[in-house]
Amino acid sequence: MASQRVFQLGLRRAAAPGFVTFQPAGRIVQRRLAATQNVTATESNEILAKQRLQRPVSPHLSIYRPQITWYASSLNRITGVLLSGGLYLFGFAYLAAPTLGWHLETPSLVAAVASWPVFAKVAAKATVAFPFFFHSLNGIRHLTWDLGLGFKNKTVMQTGWTVVGLSVVSALYFAMAG
Amino acid sequence: MASFLRPGLFRQTCQNPTASQCMLSTFTSSSIKRATPLAQQLRPSFVRSAIPKSTRIAAFHATQRQQLLPPQPQKILGTVNDPAPVPTPEPTHGAYHWSFERLVSAGLVPLCIAPFAAGSLNPVMDATLCALLIIHSHIGFEACIIDYFPKNRVPVARNLAMWALRIGTVVLGVALYSFETNDVGVTEAVKRVWHA
Repeated sequence: MASQRVFQLGLRRAAAPGFVTFQPAGRIVQRRLAATQNVTATESNEILAKQRLQRPVSPHLSIYRPQITWYASSLNRITGVLLSGGLYLFGFAYLAAPTLGWHLETPSLVAAVASWPVFAKVAAKATVAFPFFFHSLNGIRHLTWDLGLGFKNKTVMQTGWTVVGLSVVSALYFAMAG
Repeated sequence: MASFLRPGLFRQTCQNPTASQCMLSTFTSSSIKRATPLAQQLRPSFVRSAIPKSTRIAAFHATQRQQLLPPQPQKILGTVNDPAPVPTPEPTHGAYHWSFERLVSAGLVPLCIAPFAAGSLNPVMDATLCALLIIHSHIGFEACIIDYFPKNRVPVARNLAMWALRIGTVVLGVALYSFETNDVGVTEAVKRVWHA
């Protein structure tokens, strides 16, 4: 069937030299000789489900090079969760304190902290202060992005390192000074 | 360790192209190496590279495959020709929620600085700070739950986490209210503990 048609086409081309140059629209019908098969709706669903399983999966974060742009963003969430988690835990403990016989009122907390050695005090304050300052300063950075400012890659890197430096310095200052 | 071994493995398999590759491709590896700079410029970019083909291919396979979330059994909604359903846009879940988040975050900035800078104890300001802290924390935890407990993958864990957060936030509200009324207030407490 196909070979017959090719032969006929060849004959026509040979007979009419202007055939190739002058082709009115719709004269030549493209034919594709492909086998088709009817499938039921459930079968087609199964084929699609199998095909979808072949899709690529997003790779793990570890394939990306560590860069301040995305590391600062991750650290922002981690520090936020630490700070809020601490607040939630303190709230729960404060409510449970009378029942459990704990003393979490301000005077007892102050007395407890005052009895610690200087090293422990500074370490504890720095541990709280660094997440607080990092999250606060980086939060301001995020708010400026929300205003549409500072989106250049170079600016993002500069402000990122500035925030890291400032939070380390202020955490150390407030840990020592207090 | 496996990622170190693998490039070598691939280099061996890629060094000699298979029969089908030899037939289909017009360039062999020897012809690429001998090409003049001008001829290299005239060639398509994928043959232009000076790096051997085997190394380039191996580089793609060198990363260890780590699937955090391998695909689950697929469910087809509707027929195969139906597109994935798009949720109807809702400003309270989108734009309004986003603006509200930013307003709360921006409001926290002066409320964190003012009590310590001015050194005054204002109960209203302290209460506002507590309220905004609760909202900010709740929204933050909510975002984490939405990110790490996908609804279509772990629906039960997602619901449990959400309800635990809601209960926790209410309990925190009660706790901070009691701390504000029975104790000295959050900013004053932080100040005293800090200078202890």
